[in-house]
Amino acid sequence: MIEQWFLWGFDALLAAGLISLAYQIVAGRHMFRSVVLFIVFGLLMAIAWARLAAPDLALAEAAIGAGLTGALLLSAYRSLITDEQESSPPSAVPRWAALLAGCLAGGLVAGIGWVVVGLQSPQETAGRLALQNLADSGVDNPVTAVLLNFRSIDTLGEVVVLLVAFLAARVVAQDINHAGPGDWLRASHREPILVGPLISFIAPMALLVTGYLLWAGAHQPGGAFQAGAVLAALGVMLRLTGRLRPTTEPSLIERSALVGGVVLFSAIGLAGAGLASAVLEYPPGWDYGLILLIETALTISIALPLTLLFSGSGGFRREVR
Amino acid sequence: MSWLDVLSAVLLISGGIFFLTGTVGMLRFSSCYSRLHALTKADNAGLGLIALGLMVQAESLWVALKILLVWALALLAATVSAHLIARFSLRVDRGTQRAPP
Amino acid sequence: MENIYTGLALFLLLNLLAGLFRVYHGPSAADRMLAALLFGTTTVAVLLLLAQTMQEPALRDVALLFTLLAAVIAIAFTRLPRRSVGRSER
Repeated sequence: MIEQWFLWGFDALLAAGLISLAYQIVAGRHMFRSVVLFIVFGLLMAIAWARLAAPDLALAEAAIGAGLTGALLLSAYRSLITDEQESSPPSAVPRWAALLAGCLAGGLVAGIGWVVVGLQSPQETAGRLALQNLADSGVDNPVTAVLLNFRSIDTLGEVVVLLVAFLAARVVAQDINHAGPGDWLRASHREPILVGPLISFIAPMALLVTGYLLWAGAHQPGGAFQAGAVLAALGVMLRLTGRLRPTTEPSLIERSALVGGVVLFSAIGLAGAGLASAVLEYPPGWDYGLILLIETALTISIALPLTLLFSGSGGFRREVR
Repeated sequence: MSWLDVLSAVLLISGGIFFLTGTVGMLRFSSCYSRLHALTKADNAGLGLIALGLMVQAESLWVALKILLVWALALLAATVSAHLIARFSLRVDRGTQRAPP
Repeated sequence: MENIYTGLALFLLLNLLAGLFRVYHGPSAADRMLAALLFGTTTVAVLLLLAQTMQEPALRDVALLFTLLAAVIAIAFTRLPRRSVGRSER
């Protein structure tokens, strides 16, 4: 009984904390404070996904929030305060415009909420259907089954979106060097003494965890997106400490890694038209092996563009130290 | 309640007390360095005690080992992070003068 | 036993929210950052407790990811140019 009260209080406190944090992040005038509050928001969001019994999302939130967005925002903050002197402060929005936008957005949310509350809950949902046919998918984890078997066209689309986003960023990119190791590499400022041992321990651990998440995706929460995010976080760490140097042009290996996931996924999907009944259908008995193969290629094709987007460069070369 | 439950409860509650100490230290101490000192010690001890309390209840050896790994990684990350933040703060305080590594 | 897990998780969450005071009032950038670090450790403890009480072993993997990647943010923070941070934060 008292346990239920504790959980109820926990959930209420979590929801209140999330909403007030979100307000502070958007409304606060202090930029650095908003950045740190956003990092804390990511932590609370992971706990919220955990409480909603959605460990897949909690894993993605942990990998992306801790490894990518935090570092991205701090790097963006760095380049913003460096450029501050030249640029003028943005003009304030007039009060009537803010009020109008607020009223319209509030009305929209209220309208959608009213419609949603009035909806009948459907008898036969896609989720229930997916759970019923889980045995045919080749994997035991329902999320992976949906992502790579029942709705694999969506997943293919998402990977293409990531590739297109990377290409678009490259088209408009200038020579960005904000993400790099800063003044650590100058002769007068040596790298802090503990960073080397940290990298030499974290790098193999991150590779191990990437492989573990990839393998775990077949029968428990995990999969290509989470594994790719961990690998990308490792790349961000190597980039931040100057282990990886940016280059303008990707090498041949990097080019093939960038498109590898999409090409392999599409090729297997098209082959399904001949070997199985339809496009993106796996031949019977081959589901598990093909899904694992596609996931491995996708992990690399997700991790590399994310790291390159963070770094703002076309490719990497190893720094000889 | 078996003696294992009692042991686990004692470990968990003392872990909670360490976390409370860390929070109080972070809120009450006057300088950045003493805050850093207070919480990197207190909350990693707290996490260690909670991890031990959960390990004695774990269903298998692998689960216990995974919890131990989480704690070991947390110790490593906290060590390096505290070092980096203290170094950064020292440099801000001293301006352009070089800080010891 | 379940009471202790959930009660402790609630207590840790209260600790975390109380610590937001330090993020909010600073005074220096390093103070805000170290508070965020403490929250990382607290979150890991909460996730381990929830994994036990909700019978959801995958939450231990979430805790593992947080500890594995905790140092990334500290490294990114140390890349801030110190003179401008010193000026705008103090």
